[in-house]
Amino acid sequence: MQVAIQGPWSPLFGRLTLDSIPYTNPILVGTFAVVAVIGLAVVGAVLYYNKLGYLWREWITSVDHKKIGVMYIIIGLVMLLRGFADGLMIRTQQAMAIGPNSPGVLGAQHGFLPPFHFDQVYSAHGTIMILFAATPILTGLTNVVVPLQIGARDMAFPYMNALSLWLTTAGAILVMLSLFVGDFSAAGWVGLVPLTELPFSPGVGVDYWMWAIQISSIGTTLNAINMIVTIIKMRAPGMSWFRMPVFTWTTLSTNIIGLTAFPVLGVALALLGADRYFGSHFFTAGNGGNLMLYTNLFWIWGHPEVYFLVLPAFGIFSEIIPTFSEKPLFGYTTMVAATFAIAGISWAVWLHHFFTMAAGPDVNGFFSVATMLVGIPTGVKVFNWMFTLYRGRLTFTTPMLWCLAGLFLLLLGGLTGMMLAIPAVNYSVHDSVFVIAHFHCMVLLIGAAMFAAVAYWFPKVFGFKLDERNGLMFFWTFVLATGIVFIAMFALGFEGQTRRLAYIFDPSWKAMLWTEEAGMMLYLVSIGYFVRMLYVSLRDRVPVAGDPWGSARTLEWLTHTPVPFYNFAVTPQVNARDELAWRRDHGLDKVQPEAFEPIHMPSNTGIPFIIGMLAFTFGFGLIWRIWWLAGFSLLAIILAVIIRSFDKNLGYELQPEEIADMERNLSLAGIVAEQPARTPLTEAEAH
Amino acid sequence: MSAPRSNPLDHPEVRQASAWRYMAGFISTIVLMQAALYVTTHQQLPFAEYAFTIAGLALAALLSQAALLFGLDISRAQIWKSVSLVLTVPLFILAVGLSVWMFQNLAARTMIMPNMPQPTLLQ
Amino acid sequence: MAIQAPPGAGTRLFHPHFEGHDQISARTLGFWLYMLSDALIFTGLFVAYAVLNNPMAAAAGPIAPQIVNQVEGLWQTYAVLGSVAAYSLGTVALKSGNKGGVMLGIVLSILLALVFLYFEAHDLLGLLAAGNGPSRSGYLSAFFVLVATHGLHMVFGILWMLVMLVQIPTLGFSANVVARLINLRMFWQFQATIWVLVYVYVYMIGAF
Repeated sequence: MQVAIQGPWSPLFGRLTLDSIPYTNPILVGTFAVVAVIGLAVVGAVLYYNKLGYLWREWITSVDHKKIGVMYIIIGLVMLLRGFADGLMIRTQQAMAIGPNSPGVLGAQHGFLPPFHFDQVYSAHGTIMILFAATPILTGLTNVVVPLQIGARDMAFPYMNALSLWLTTAGAILVMLSLFVGDFSAAGWVGLVPLTELPFSPGVGVDYWMWAIQISSIGTTLNAINMIVTIIKMRAPGMSWFRMPVFTWTTLSTNIIGLTAFPVLGVALALLGADRYFGSHFFTAGNGGNLMLYTNLFWIWGHPEVYFLVLPAFGIFSEIIPTFSEKPLFGYTTMVAATFAIAGISWAVWLHHFFTMAAGPDVNGFFSVATMLVGIPTGVKVFNWMFTLYRGRLTFTTPMLWCLAGLFLLLLGGLTGMMLAIPAVNYSVHDSVFVIAHFHCMVLLIGAAMFAAVAYWFPKVFGFKLDERNGLMFFWTFVLATGIVFIAMFALGFEGQTRRLAYIFDPSWKAMLWTEEAGMMLYLVSIGYFVRMLYVSLRDRVPVAGDPWGSARTLEWLTHTPVPFYNFAVTPQVNARDELAWRRDHGLDKVQPEAFEPIHMPSNTGIPFIIGMLAFTFGFGLIWRIWWLAGFSLLAIILAVIIRSFDKNLGYELQPEEIADMERNLSLAGIVAEQPARTPLTEAEAH
Repeated sequence: MSAPRSNPLDHPEVRQASAWRYMAGFISTIVLMQAALYVTTHQQLPFAEYAFTIAGLALAALLSQAALLFGLDISRAQIWKSVSLVLTVPLFILAVGLSVWMFQNLAARTMIMPNMPQPTLLQ
Repeated sequence: MAIQAPPGAGTRLFHPHFEGHDQISARTLGFWLYMLSDALIFTGLFVAYAVLNNPMAAAAGPIAPQIVNQVEGLWQTYAVLGSVAAYSLGTVALKSGNKGGVMLGIVLSILLALVFLYFEAHDLLGLLAAGNGPSRSGYLSAFFVLVATHGLHMVFGILWMLVMLVQIPTLGFSANVVARLINLRMFWQFQATIWVLVYVYVYMIGAF
């Protein structure tokens, strides 16, 4: 290649050498030890209980939207923990390294993280939380819930659904691997140029960041296609557009954003990749490159992306609040209209992320007004939730509490967002921690919605509820911690603390920084309660049936609890918006189908997993410039796709007697049940 | 999942193929591109008129391709393709248009060249 | 449809014998949506080209009017549109289940696509040989990547066509094969649309 890379390169190993493993870094050695112990324990348990075959047959090769959704959520939760660890390290460094006399340990002059390592920590924190924690968890939730909500048996493209999952996993593995082999980007989650260009980031860190995001973005785009087609084409008979639940509407809108915005991220990163790999001059500081072009392309994606994350959260609020107010959602039509208004306007506001980059008052003014316009449909939503709560019969279960906390965070985050939309204000607080506090309010409301949704829909999938008492403690400690950390951060933003500081030069900020650190300790306690909640729930496993909340309203609660893998024994006929509520009002909610008929289901397949792993080796080969590995992986992926296209397997058919058995004994058909092998259909039999 | 249809060749998207539509699409696009080349090589228009003329010819070519080659209309088989295309077109315009507008403003304000009239704050 | 149907004698709670959704339509809609996302990729590339198409970004190297040949571009346009016409006429033969007709359309389509790619490769390699490759300037980077991305789409399309030439005789016109042929038709027509945009913007308006 024409580019001059630093360090050795060999044809067999590329840039990979023994020195790429950071065995002199005590933090990473310690992390590796912990990960190795946990990993060995998990692998050991799987082998000891002889579950390897079960895992392959029932989970890794699965094309069932519920299992895929659960796997997405598990990956997201693991990455959430990693992202939290990074966040804790940022806060602790800033709490320690205050003033020129602050002590330094583990090789750092102040605090415990040398600046280059600190930079990687906050870059990883942002990248992981947005793309590898929030996105997979929300994707997993929509995957599990939407087909059930519209009365379908699965997504439109079950195979592609599995492929999306394994591509996201490949990206996540690359990010985790960067801890132990090489390092990660030190240029922030945004990756601004020219810092991310080869002369200024000569290592592999930026390449890890770039390829992890590119590979998982393909998964996200494919998932968007899948969700949109599912919602358009696979609704149950009688479910017209305006009888769809609002969560499904927000999923549609979210995935339209995902489908249209993620390609532009792909271009931004690909052009940066061209600079790093082919020596082109898109964003170089010289030879005709344009630095601001990267910022422009990145944020064309970056703004719709945040709405990609927040609209599912709004959908979750719109499901849970009516359920626990025992009233239908107020203003359904305006809610739907507001959802699409937000999605549409969100495509025209991206420049507010770089008001300070000299575009001028005309341009800044346009984008400022457009940004403020987004507040109107958001306000409509907030009022609709308020009017749903008004005069409802409220029950304060943990899902409901999370939603209410989310609404408060939306108020705080949204209002500070409106402040930031004013260029004059923005010039004062751009790149300060005020901005960080603003967007953390937004992402934490998304987090609140996620925890609400997990608690709410958990019994539907697994057949037992999450422990309420530990759940309440988890909620209160988490929300309190959030308040402590981020209100202090807003104050520090006004004091002038800028972002991404490895060393705090102003000792008067000590009180606030230590307050934030106390908040982080409270987060640790809340994680403890979360783990305890999972343990107690699993240990006690009190079975629930039907509608475990008593006042659920939408179609997915009509399935059995736990939901069988074929979802509905007979396709339901939809008669109303909030179908379950309608049936309950007319005394029809306990009616079961009288006769069954054969159900056509897709077969499991290992190809998505194989392609996912090949995507991982492709990314690894590109990162380390091991050209033979990258080339072979790409070829193998293309071959796998072509070979799969010759597959004549048309799925299998469940016979009525089997279905009747499973309807009587739900444990035969639940998410952890092992299914017997069933003969696949051929072309002739399928007609 | 549903059971497969009876005969794939009866599907509306197979039946919609039409030789005259494809020939018409081919010929109309060629003619429009030929016209664009003619305007480029034989006419001496100022930039704004030139750009609008070529853009107009291109728009005509795109519309003819949409109707004649893709066969987009509001029939049951095609409606979602038409709707999704119409909703996506504004995004192309926004992305390219707003970016170009922003970079022109930026260049006027920051790419200060020798012998250039000084920009004012009111620009 | 009313939001709420009152329960009465005609109320149904279940819908047995539901034929489900039409697989082919679902696949073509899904593929269409993928194509829209692909169009957004090209939008990003056009943004980059529009921004870098100026003398500063040319870094004292060649700029658009010096490297684009509009007449040759017209021959390329003939080739790519002819390729689209050949493939599309092949799908007319699909209506009567005529395997030979479809395959003939595909073969002609591949040949005309190769003509286009020959012209384009000749152009790009000539520029590279003269030292005007993407590493020369920001403008040339944008030119190369935009044109080459379109060319890469054509290469994948040709690969897809070759696979279909194997699948039509071996698998016949099954639902899967028919869905793929229709998707390929949309893909091929789409890349010709992108070429029209490239020709008009890169070769004409942008090279004023």
